Amino acid sequence: MKRNVAIISVGYNGRFVSKRPDVNIPELIQPAVTNALGKTRLKPEDIDAYVVGNMHTFEGVNQPHLWASEHFNGNMKPVMRIATGGTTGASVYQAAYYHVASGLYDVVMAIGWEKQDEGDSQVGLMGILLPEAFSLFHFGPDTSTDRGIAGLGGGGSTGGAAFQAMSYLAKANAGIEHIDRVAAMMRSNAAKNPYAHLQQPGCTEADIAKTPIISYPLRFGHTCPTSCGAIAMILVSEEKAKKFGLTDRIAWIKGLGSGTSDATTGNLIEGQITDPAEQQICKIVAKKVYSMAGIKDPKKDIQMAEVYSGFSHQDLMWPERLGLVEEGASPKMLDKGAFAIDGEIPINPSGGVTSTNAIGASAMVRVGEAALQVMGLAEGGHQVQRKIENVVAHGWGGLFQFVTVTVLGKTPVKS
Amino acid sequence: MTQETRTIESTWDLTAYQFKIEADALNLFIKGTKDKKILGRKCHQCGTVYVPGPTYCRKCLIDIDQVVEVSQEGVLDAFTVNLADVRGIPVENPFITCTVKLDGSDSFLMGTLEGWTEWHSVREGMRVKVVWKDTTSGALADLSHFQLI
Repeated sequence: MKRNVAIISVGYNGRFVSKRPDVNIPELIQPAVTNALGKTRLKPEDIDAYVVGNMHTFEGVNQPHLWASEHFNGNMKPVMRIATGGTTGASVYQAAYYHVASGLYDVVMAIGWEKQDEGDSQVGLMGILLPEAFSLFHFGPDTSTDRGIAGLGGGGSTGGAAFQAMSYLAKANAGIEHIDRVAAMMRSNAAKNPYAHLQQPGCTEADIAKTPIISYPLRFGHTCPTSCGAIAMILVSEEKAKKFGLTDRIAWIKGLGSGTSDATTGNLIEGQITDPAEQQICKIVAKKVYSMAGIKDPKKDIQMAEVYSGFSHQDLMWPERLGLVEEGASPKMLDKGAFAIDGEIPINPSGGVTSTNAIGASAMVRVGEAALQVMGLAEGGHQVQRKIENVVAHGWGGLFQFVTVTVLGKTPVKS
Repeated sequence: MTQETRTIESTWDLTAYQFKIEADALNLFIKGTKDKKILGRKCHQCGTVYVPGPTYCRKCLIDIDQVVEVSQEGVLDAFTVNLADVRGIPVENPFITCTVKLDGSDSFLMGTLEGWTEWHSVREGMRVKVVWKDTTSGALADLSHFQLI
């Protein structure tokens, strides 16, 4: 029988920044662990097991968890490491949930991090595409100019996301100005989050529209930064939460799930059959998670969302696919201010991934920020003031095909 | 905290990598391009047509061997305008890379789009057709580009 699980503490290592030459990986993680423990009355020996994760080899270190384990007090304890690309943070957190829900452990710490100044993320991404590229070259694409298939990969992940953005804009009948608008909102939200990387107080649509286009319709201002940072969360069972006397200021995990569809961009070898903006898998997973959480109408019962949007058009696309607004309604909702911190359904009060992206931490930061909002502990003015009962946190990764969804709430689901 | 960046020189030997890839889909595709045909495979169970066509259906997970020829006209699905080259330097003549769904196919093909004068006027859903190179040799490059009709 599954047990109810709660998040009792969320800790960051400090503000996310692009370069941390003063620390190494264990030193980057350690303050987040101390911070998470410090917010509770727990001691390091109270943690039964650890689940940790970052992107594989992006920092040039193959198994950093072995190096770092004593720095997060993991010596002589079970440590599991998970790497699933963009969804790493959420996969780590889900594994930690199952550790507790299954009855195997009572208190588990989940840690996600990335130290991107120690490696080249674009080279890491290139390593993923090597088999496809080699195979294509075998069959003779036109390599004489920048055009043709040789030029298709030129934009890196932005080049791929541009197709998704274009397809979304056509479906929602929106324009590039909507992406500018939502990007500006995220950067000014980030200014209210002391841990966010790119903080631009009062950022306007015009500020974003000034930045150069990388791959139409995506501009430099629509893309995420490369950040260094770490997040740690403590998950406990219902019995332990009672034993610790924790009733207020905790976030209950009500439902969670993950799914994958076919690789939607980059699979030129076997015929790509899915439109990258369709995201049928996100709708399927969300439906399953809502039924697990006992949510009948997500539009009414969910008050806020933290979505994983590496590119700004996704801040509009995910709320639709998660069923929080009608299909194609996001641009209108944005225009009437519904997505703002004080709006009807706030999206990413933290500033989102377009403001802070430490890859292995990003999807867990979504869950952590959702938990802080439920607890009422979001710092620096990005706490939503309306009454919050349920929050949805979302993760995305791979070649546009991995999705994780979680619902956190003030009260546990009755079993 | 110092903000200086250090550069460390190193080499990455790409020839050290070996990959095994299911090549039948592209083998069939380039067999077709030699005769200026677009070939794919159709699943006899669900009817999905893949171009290029793998030897198995990715939905039903069964072997498929029905080779079909699809139309050389189709619909523009999505596109991006390349305003800069891979080094980030703005290009004099922007070009469009696009995904196209050919009539009779359920998958998307990528390529460059021509036949437009002002890129702001290009819209999803426009009709396009395949343009071949004058001489075809059985390679992906045989398919020169897509042209707006």
